[in-house]
Amino acid sequence: MVWLIPLYGFSGMVLSLPWAAGWIKRNGPRPAAYLNLLVTLVAVAHSSLILQQVWQIGPQHLDFAWFRAADLNLRIGFDLSLTNLAALELVTGISLLGQVYALGYLDKEWSLARFYALVGFFEGALAGVVLSSSLFMSYFLLEMLTLSTYLLVGFWYAQPLVVTAARDAFLTKRVGDVLLLMGMVALSAWAGSMEFQDLYVWAAEADASGALSPLAGTLLGLGLIAGPMGKCAQFPMHLWLDEAMEGPNPASILRNSVVVTAGALVLMKVMPLLRFSPLATTVLLVVGTISALAGALVAIAQVDIKRAFSYSTTSYLGLVFIAIALQQPAIALLLLFAHGLAKALVFMSVGSIIATTNCQDLTELGGLGSRMPATTTAYLVGGAGLVGLLPLGCFWCFGLLVESFAPQQPFFAAVCLLTNGLTAFNLTRVYRHVFLGPPMPKTKRAPEVNWLMALPMVSLTVLVALIPALMARFNPVPSIGSIPWTVTAAVLASGLAGVAGGALAPLNKFWSRSMIQPLRVLQDLLASDFYTDRIYKATIVAAVAGLARLTNWVDQALVNGLVNGIGRLSLASAEGLKLGVSGQVQTYVLTVIVAIVLLLISLQWLQV
Amino acid sequence: MLSLLLLIPFGGALLLALWPGNPTKGRMRTVTLVVLGLQLAWSLVVLARFDPGNSAMQLQESLRWVDSLGLQYKLGVDGLSLPLVLINGSLTLVSAICTRDIDKRPRVYFALLMVISGAVNGAFLAQNLLLFFLFYELELIPLWCLIAVWGGANRDYAATKFLIFTAVSGFLILGAFLGLALLTGTADFSLTPITSERLSMGAQLLLLGALLVGFGIKVPLFPFHNWLPDAHTQASTPVSVLLAGVLLKLGTYGLLRFCLGMFPEAWAQLAPGLAIWAAISVLFGSLAAIAQKDMKRMVAYSSVGHMGYILLAAAAATPVAILGAVFQMVSHGLISALLFLLVGIVYRKTGTRDLTVLHGLLNPERGLPFTGSLMILGVMASAGMPGMAGFISEFMVFRGSISAYPLATLLSMVGSGLTAVYFLLLVNRAFFGRLAVTPITDPVVHGRLDVNLAAVAPRETIPAMALAVGVVAIGLLPAGLGRLSEASTTAMTQLPALAAALKSGGLG
Repeated sequence: MVWLIPLYGFSGMVLSLPWAAGWIKRNGPRPAAYLNLLVTLVAVAHSSLILQQVWQIGPQHLDFAWFRAADLNLRIGFDLSLTNLAALELVTGISLLGQVYALGYLDKEWSLARFYALVGFFEGALAGVVLSSSLFMSYFLLEMLTLSTYLLVGFWYAQPLVVTAARDAFLTKRVGDVLLLMGMVALSAWAGSMEFQDLYVWAAEADASGALSPLAGTLLGLGLIAGPMGKCAQFPMHLWLDEAMEGPNPASILRNSVVVTAGALVLMKVMPLLRFSPLATTVLLVVGTISALAGALVAIAQVDIKRAFSYSTTSYLGLVFIAIALQQPAIALLLLFAHGLAKALVFMSVGSIIATTNCQDLTELGGLGSRMPATTTAYLVGGAGLVGLLPLGCFWCFGLLVESFAPQQPFFAAVCLLTNGLTAFNLTRVYRHVFLGPPMPKTKRAPEVNWLMALPMVSLTVLVALIPALMARFNPVPSIGSIPWTVTAAVLASGLAGVAGGALAPLNKFWSRSMIQPLRVLQDLLASDFYTDRIYKATIVAAVAGLARLTNWVDQALVNGLVNGIGRLSLASAEGLKLGVSGQVQTYVLTVIVAIVLLLISLQWLQV
Repeated sequence: MLSLLLLIPFGGALLLALWPGNPTKGRMRTVTLVVLGLQLAWSLVVLARFDPGNSAMQLQESLRWVDSLGLQYKLGVDGLSLPLVLINGSLTLVSAICTRDIDKRPRVYFALLMVISGAVNGAFLAQNLLLFFLFYELELIPLWCLIAVWGGANRDYAATKFLIFTAVSGFLILGAFLGLALLTGTADFSLTPITSERLSMGAQLLLLGALLVGFGIKVPLFPFHNWLPDAHTQASTPVSVLLAGVLLKLGTYGLLRFCLGMFPEAWAQLAPGLAIWAAISVLFGSLAAIAQKDMKRMVAYSSVGHMGYILLAAAAATPVAILGAVFQMVSHGLISALLFLLVGIVYRKTGTRDLTVLHGLLNPERGLPFTGSLMILGVMASAGMPGMAGFISEFMVFRGSISAYPLATLLSMVGSGLTAVYFLLLVNRAFFGRLAVTPITDPVVHGRLDVNLAAVAPRETIPAMALAVGVVAIGLLPAGLGRLSEASTTAMTQLPALAAALKSGGLG
């Protein structure tokens, strides 16, 4: 019955349609939200039930025939391993919390039903991605995620920034998806089956027999990693996540925690296929490192509260990429889990701030700490869960990462520590801006949020605080004592340094751009994300636009011009010829006869 | 059995032409709807009687006609033609349904519509080359009239261009058929690949070349696509639906049935070049679409791109690719018809299709929210979003072609990515943003917020909704269509091997 789980989400979408399309106008769009909450609740319950069962009877595999023709056999397959089910639990759980939260956050939104329809679609596709056992199905659902991201980001489509954000989100992911499609089509043709297990077997055989040329292998590897790179907002395809912050916040909660997780899970599943391509692994490492560090740095320079954390998502997923590329999938999973929950919590508290103050600008916020206690607690717990300082989720992740990298790849251990420090710096900086200091005009009257937002936020706060206990149950984590004390000290030191830096750095609300020239240049560089959008505009966008104009010119001037020219020529020659007509029937007949004779002769000649 | 598929529409046209008195427009439309509904119902009966496991021609009917010319009235249906007959039946019905505001000569209009439908059925069912050609030409003049009489402002130019291009296509096809008969020395125009085997390779290539150009004009492929954007922009919405959804399929059907089917050996020789031609056509169509400002032109150029996939699949000629080509024909028929319908609604409500003028049409109260939502669905389907018909078709085409022609296939996939670019531009410009129907150059006028578009009645969107349901249904459950066509398409791919075996006397 596990195939029902993705269908819950999709059924939620279908159930919302009457309200979203405006066929039912009485009593407002709330029933759509309630229906969605109900099916998501069922999905959570069902997935927990299955988790229990699989816990007892071990991993299961389910598959159904979908389409077969000639040598093409496409199946719908579900892999019920503990990892996948834990991810499913994360997806459905955060989706449920996010949906309750959205009911409060989008309280007065006129198109609430449309939002819930999209979230249902989103949740269904996500649940399918984490469970899928075949590359084809993963691709299928990843593309659906791309579509639903486009629609969710474009939710408030009347705003100009939202329009460009939705476009960029779609196109960036689409580039990744098309490359993934190329890889997938090639794999499908070479390996036959699309099931991950069969693909692994095929890859091992092809590697042993050398059936695949190095070039093909490298291209295949690059194609396969492009899709997850786009989904996980890695440099240089990270732009969309930043812009996507224009969308409604409940969707941002999901996007920053579970969508990126789904992308990384797909990467984990294709990882064994990258054995043909050392280059792809190198690319993963480079991209991961750049994303981790640059993401953390760019986050520090943001004044928009949502963007300050969306770049941090890029940064953490960079660490996940490094861990996957260095063959540490268990740690990567742990990091995804801990980051997903903690980041969702941080985004919930950010959403509360935005809902209360109607403001996303850090320099206009301040003094909320005493006014919004639940939000403050959520922020603090979420922040603590993100960095390696207090013994919450990410502390173990950083500890394990540093411990496993330090002997062989000390460089990547340093990257982890640096990211930890920079993230701690960013969190502390934002905390000072938002919660400390004197109240600002927009934060003077700031009551705590309504219960619909507070309930999921507080529940998640408790959950994040309990992550170590959860991790101990699912995935036996070494106790603090078993991590070498040097590693513990290094992680703690990096976290502390970050917090201290963030606490001591000068924060000036009125002169948020530094007045020291070199610092100012650096700040501008980071604040505008290394001018990535301008670089894109000047290169790829300009190239495609130029090619399109060139093609259009060829079409209009050459092809069409030629056709029109022939037309004019024939008209003109007809005009000329009509003066040369004799009018004698005899000549016409003669001409016709001569022509027929010539034709017959030529046919005779052809037949011989 | 099959003859009824011809008799119903032709009889309907005759009935309407001879209808006594002076019937109202509504009455004539009703008669047309009944006739076309009957035709669709009868196609469904044929579908029920069809045995998908059998790859041969089924339900054959034959009648001696003009023996001395080799012209035989011979009909048959297989897994390649049946889906197209069904598409023809449904799309003609759709285009009759969405014909509401016709101002002049409704009697002629509806009669021509039925003639086209019957002629297209005939072309898909004909088992004789000359018979096919007769129907191929028969559809030409009515369509020319539909554009030239009921078209837009620049209709004369577009209609003449269409006529000349398609007439040239007809000459080339007829020439190739006659050439085949002359060179083999028999006046037997039945449809078998065996005939071409008696010819030298040079003669085969010559005849195949003529056919390729002939059908290439109809498909259309670059550089013969020139007539299509003009014809679409000037044609009215129902005619565009017919043109894109049904008539272009005559070209691709011809490529598969007559080029690949009758000259398997020469085809195999030309195939690498054809794959490159397909990739160029895909890229050219997609890039040109990006630069368009008129929504209809954009959709028209997207057709050029998407029909290129079929040539690619035909060049690869693997079972999966050919089945993919059938899927692509069906899904392109549905999707492009859907897009043209929606553009038609936008045009009717706003009076323009200019992407620099339209903004924010998704506005829930004063805009066209439902049309916009369907438009998003349509463009996503066209861009190959999974869960809809475009994806599974493109996937099969690419999957079937990549081993044979990796470079051309990868380039075509780039074209599929470009589809997302131009259709996203369309949706973003026309449907997102703040509602306005003015050029953005004038900020004062643009700032006006008093645009209030007339509501779209449910009956206007019902045909579009039906097509959208079809697009999603094929995307989610492709197995039905696959089963219908698989036997025939697989049999087609064995032709080259069969021909080679014949040549070497292996089967003798």
